[in-house]
Amino acid sequence: MIDGLNTMLPLAWRNLWRNPRRTGITLIVVAIGVWSILFFNAFMIAWAKSSKETTLQLLLGSGQIHAEGYMDDPSIEKLMDPPDLDLTSALDLPAVADWTTRVVVPGVVQSEYKTLPATIVGVDPTAEARISSIPGKIAEGRYLNSSDDDSAVLGLHMVERLKTGLGRRVILMSQNTAGAMSEQSFDVVGIYDADKATEDLYVFTGRAASQAFLGLEGEIAQIVFVLQEEMALEDTIAAMADAAPDLDVRSWRDLNLFLASMDSYMRVFIHVWLGIVFALMAIGIINTQLMAVFERTQEFGLLRALGMKPRRVLLMVTIENALLIGVGVLLGMAMAAVTIWSVSDGIDFSAFARAMEMVQTGEIIYLDYEPDAFILFPGLIWLLGILVALWPARRASNCRPVDAMRRET
Amino acid sequence: MDPIVTCRGLSKTFGKGELAVHALRDVDLDIMPGDIATLAGPSGSGKTTLLNMIGALDEPTSGEVSVGGQPLSGISRSGLSDLRLSKIGFVFQSYNLIPVLSARENIEFVLQLQGVSGSERHDRAMEAIKEVGLAGMEDRRPGKMSGGQQQRVAVARALVSRPTIVLADEPTANLDSKNALELVDLMRNLNREHGTTFLIGTHDVRVMEHSMRHIEMVDGRIDNDARSSA
Repeated sequence: MIDGLNTMLPLAWRNLWRNPRRTGITLIVVAIGVWSILFFNAFMIAWAKSSKETTLQLLLGSGQIHAEGYMDDPSIEKLMDPPDLDLTSALDLPAVADWTTRVVVPGVVQSEYKTLPATIVGVDPTAEARISSIPGKIAEGRYLNSSDDDSAVLGLHMVERLKTGLGRRVILMSQNTAGAMSEQSFDVVGIYDADKATEDLYVFTGRAASQAFLGLEGEIAQIVFVLQEEMALEDTIAAMADAAPDLDVRSWRDLNLFLASMDSYMRVFIHVWLGIVFALMAIGIINTQLMAVFERTQEFGLLRALGMKPRRVLLMVTIENALLIGVGVLLGMAMAAVTIWSVSDGIDFSAFARAMEMVQTGEIIYLDYEPDAFILFPGLIWLLGILVALWPARRASNCRPVDAMRRET
Repeated sequence: MDPIVTCRGLSKTFGKGELAVHALRDVDLDIMPGDIATLAGPSGSGKTTLLNMIGALDEPTSGEVSVGGQPLSGISRSGLSDLRLSKIGFVFQSYNLIPVLSARENIEFVLQLQGVSGSERHDRAMEAIKEVGLAGMEDRRPGKMSGGQQQRVAVARALVSRPTIVLADEPTANLDSKNALELVDLMRNLNREHGTTFLIGTHDVRVMEHSMRHIEMVDGRIDNDARSSA
């Protein structure tokens, strides 16, 4: 068997180069197919990762805890007490990187020119800086100093719409615990630059300041936490739900269904792409290999006449196909590796900043090698390629020597 | 002495009904060991069809062929491959060498199919090359050889497996006079020295002159079967 392979491998290799043009075309088709799958896979994963990280780091966190009913009616009646000892223990689990509490209520923000709906968010700036990317996105002025800071930080776009600015004052209004409207004037000390939707919606002030403004006695609207590792999400959510059975504990997957869908279906998208590319490649491989077999019909007839058994002809043609597709696959892997390496500093999409904002993705996408994909996808293409090329190979092995040798080519 | 090839009542019809072509009609033939026989006749007389039947490349419509005492009917495709590999050598009109293999590799290829070990393959192939007068050309590929040289390689390939019979279909048709005569001499010498049996389908008078048995075919039948003292 080994001796047979030793003879067949060089023969198969030489046969490949009998028609360099056709072999070249097949190699290019396979190489581009493999390259596109590996590059697309790396890009989609990087894009999904960037999109997820951007969204989670903005305000969402890995998960949030609210009072029951708050998610359906986020009003001041649906607030909750700060975490008790049990819940604090769960929040201090090693899997949790950090957590903070917020007051989040619907309200309006008013300037001298305009009144706009807004979500008023009271934060602890020190903890918030460890959880959210907003404190790092200050374009003008400063972020909040402390929980007692009764200043306001507004989004860039909201500032433009309100025709206000740094050092000016705005009035925040919201329903208080007594059911009446509270209103208070806040200095605009900072303007943040995030995506337009966030800028238009959220106004930040100190948590204690917002509690005083709303007449609260320490109540909060949400606890936000971030995890060390995404893998610990389900277990941590379960631990927190056990620690606070009366509260509504949700992971980011439940809080942002679009993002969760994107994350879940990313693999499906890649597999659909794999299917499309493979179908195109299969057509190319079958076509060129059928042509190759057709051109060599007389030769296969000769081999059969000389006493080569059909299964050996099948093996010989299959070895040729395995070599051809294998070289194409290796070429595609090398091209993908070089492409990914060449953009290892990130692909800059800042020219499409607004579009990237819409899909909540960072402006720079960092591609990374995924070892599993570099083994799985090329291996799959190689095996499937050999499988589809069995058809022309079977055609060659099943020829009747007398018919095949009579054939003019 | 038993014949090494026996044909009894051999008929072959291509097509059906009005379009039927009777390529062979009730042919009886024995080829004895050591024969160098020519199969002659006009085009369409059934020479190639008869060679194909004896070479287990095609099945008769009726009748029976035996090679080395073994009837071919009922043998599987794989079994027929084994039979061709071990008992029959072929020489074709258009040489039919594998273009990507050198002369030596073409000859070795048959031995490799027989499972002969690497060193023995090499030695036997070199011996066959020497025997057909191509020593020094063993590493040339067919594209770098003349028609006569290629046909010599084809003869060496047919002989290297030590077959029971060598079937040659118009082996000199593509050769000039000089090369044709050299090939005829070569086959004649191999017959004399090793007792190799040849059955040669040909139009070539020079080949016929050197054969010891002349079989004439007309319309799928053996019209004449005569031995000469050549």
